Amino acid sequence: MQDHRRRPFTRRTLLSATGALSAGAALSACGSGGGSSSGGGDLVFWDMVWGTGADYTALAQELAGGYEPEDDALGVTYQSIPWANWYQTFSSAVASGTGPAVSTGAAFQPFSFLEDSAVVPADGAIALLEEQGKADFLPGLLESMHTEQGYAGIPWGLDLRVLWYRESMLEEAGADVPTTWQEYLDAGKKLKAAGKIGFGMAAGSSTTDAQHSIFALFINNGGGLFTEDGEPFADSDENIEALEFVEEMVGEGIIDPRSASYTSDNLDSDWAEGRIAMGFGQTGFDKVMKDPVSSDLRVMSPVTSTNGSTGTIYYINAIMLYENTPDQVSSDQYAAWWATQTDEFWLQDVMIDLPVTERLAANEKIASNPNAVIAIEEWQPIGKTLGAKAPAAFGALNSVDGGEAAAAFVQQVVQGDQSPRQMLETLQSELEQLM
Amino acid sequence: MVVVNAYPVLYAAQQSLHDGSLIAQGPFVGLENYRTVLTDPSFWKAVRFTLVFTLCGVLGSWLVGYALALAFRRPFLGRSILKVAFLLPWVVPVVVTSMSWNWLVATASSPIPQFFAALGMPDVLFLADPTLAVVMVCLFKIWISFPFMFLMMSAALEGIDDTVYEAATVDGAGRVGALLHITLPLTAKSTYISWVLMSMFTINDFPTIYLLTGGGPVDATTSLVVLAYRSVFQSFQPGYGVAVAFLMTAALIGISLALFRSIRKAD
Repeated sequence: MQDHRRRPFTRRTLLSATGALSAGAALSACGSGGGSSSGGGDLVFWDMVWGTGADYTALAQELAGGYEPEDDALGVTYQSIPWANWYQTFSSAVASGTGPAVSTGAAFQPFSFLEDSAVVPADGAIALLEEQGKADFLPGLLESMHTEQGYAGIPWGLDLRVLWYRESMLEEAGADVPTTWQEYLDAGKKLKAAGKIGFGMAAGSSTTDAQHSIFALFINNGGGLFTEDGEPFADSDENIEALEFVEEMVGEGIIDPRSASYTSDNLDSDWAEGRIAMGFGQTGFDKVMKDPVSSDLRVMSPVTSTNGSTGTIYYINAIMLYENTPDQVSSDQYAAWWATQTDEFWLQDVMIDLPVTERLAANEKIASNPNAVIAIEEWQPIGKTLGAKAPAAFGALNSVDGGEAAAAFVQQVVQGDQSPRQMLETLQSELEQLM
Repeated sequence: MVVVNAYPVLYAAQQSLHDGSLIAQGPFVGLENYRTVLTDPSFWKAVRFTLVFTLCGVLGSWLVGYALALAFRRPFLGRSILKVAFLLPWVVPVVVTSMSWNWLVATASSPIPQFFAALGMPDVLFLADPTLAVVMVCLFKIWISFPFMFLMMSAALEGIDDTVYEAATVDGAGRVGALLHITLPLTAKSTYISWVLMSMFTINDFPTIYLLTGGGPVDATTSLVVLAYRSVFQSFQPGYGVAVAFLMTAALIGISLALFRSIRKAD
């Protein structure tokens, strides 16, 4: 960090202005409010617009407004932050020292910010949760947040990718719900014969959907983009085999060639219009669709790959604690409190992702939803992060997820004009360059 | 003004000499980012697309705009209403027009693929085929830019005195002769100025490409400005991205100087 007292005008000064401007723009769009007090000494809490959007934000603001700090801890000011240009918003604010004390954010943001010393480990807040008996995280989640420095953040939501299917469309095509990759191909061919798409995905450059779907298949086949040590290993035998499966789907027309340019909206519109019958999606996908599509959507059980394994990809949404805080103890206290308050988002049905705790998984609200039950009981335990096979995520994944290399890779896959090995070797070389 | 303009440029220049993130500047690497950029095939692919996109955008929109300006020189019924209608692609925000184009061609149920299917024509992947995506992006650029050229050329044509044409007619010049020997030379200065401006607009054009194709598929429509954006804000490599932006700026200055020289010759 530079000593800003020695220079009349520095990078920090400019970034302060930029950060204030971007924060101001973000806040003017979304508004702020809530908090236990409005004093200048409060913690600032930035919360992204999650789940159902406006309903989520209204509830979050109300919850934050009920925060009563213990002892002499600081209160909190809640600020809703839109996803548009999230990285610019956070990075300029953090670099200028005008960022939040606590925030939610993107899946790999805590890891990259921890490596840049912008956030601090969440060990203190997690210890508070353990004291309260509220650290009952689903298997593997807390471990995925662990780094050499400590926990990068507190898990509070899980973006888990599961395979969805339209029950009526499979019936009409005379296809069974697949349990293996071979059965998936058989069902896909029957759907193709009926003029339907068997593996819907959006591979356009503005979405990460296809990247998540294809990387989920790598993990499904026991592969992943990295070694246990976090070194790039895209061209592994498991990944080549998984890509051969995708190649066959492309060749058979089970994957729509148009998906190379699809946006998320294009994909949703195809699902809504009954063109797509199967494909990966977030666990709350049925909430995104409207009836009659919504009530016809089912989560299938994990599909066994050629080599007999199952698996999928997930993204853990975490609460981060920043280095730039008026009081670290207050930050820990608030972050732990907020982690427990997030239960309300599922109880009041404003979240699309899965909850991360055993207590919520067992709650009647979740347990009465058969799709959520399959997701939690069958898919969550076999899920891994984009860092697979590394045991935990790491900062460089921020550049991989949604980066140019991954986007070009999935588009090349849909083009189907290169061999799986060739495409994976290119990806491997791009990953090595990124790392 | 110095703070607003010079400081960000100097800061960006400094960033291009470091291997860091947007938060941490990282170690000094000298010209390594520039070396990486200049030896990266993705950069040269983006250079090629930028040249194609710029040539198509500038010349295509100029041809359409000039043709319309000539057609609108003489009064006819509904001229004013049509003139306003032709300005719409320039006036409507590009976010809206790009969504409209996407809606027209992106999915199998989009109107144009449906129309092709009804005619029994083969499936055309307008945005998913790399070559067609380039064509679509160029057409889109021409479509949103021709009104600007239409205005520029209309103003230039207004400046030509009718007596010049009358004299040419007396001398036996036909329509083509008048166009080649009177209209084009007398509007050359406006043409060059509009080319300079449109070149700047096109080379720096981010939304037209990004909103329609995002630079894909397989980087087929990635221009230099899209490459710079994606490097900084999607791959989080600000050193590389800023180096691309500086190289692009240098090229822009070179192109502008060449075109301004042409303007001086036209005087």
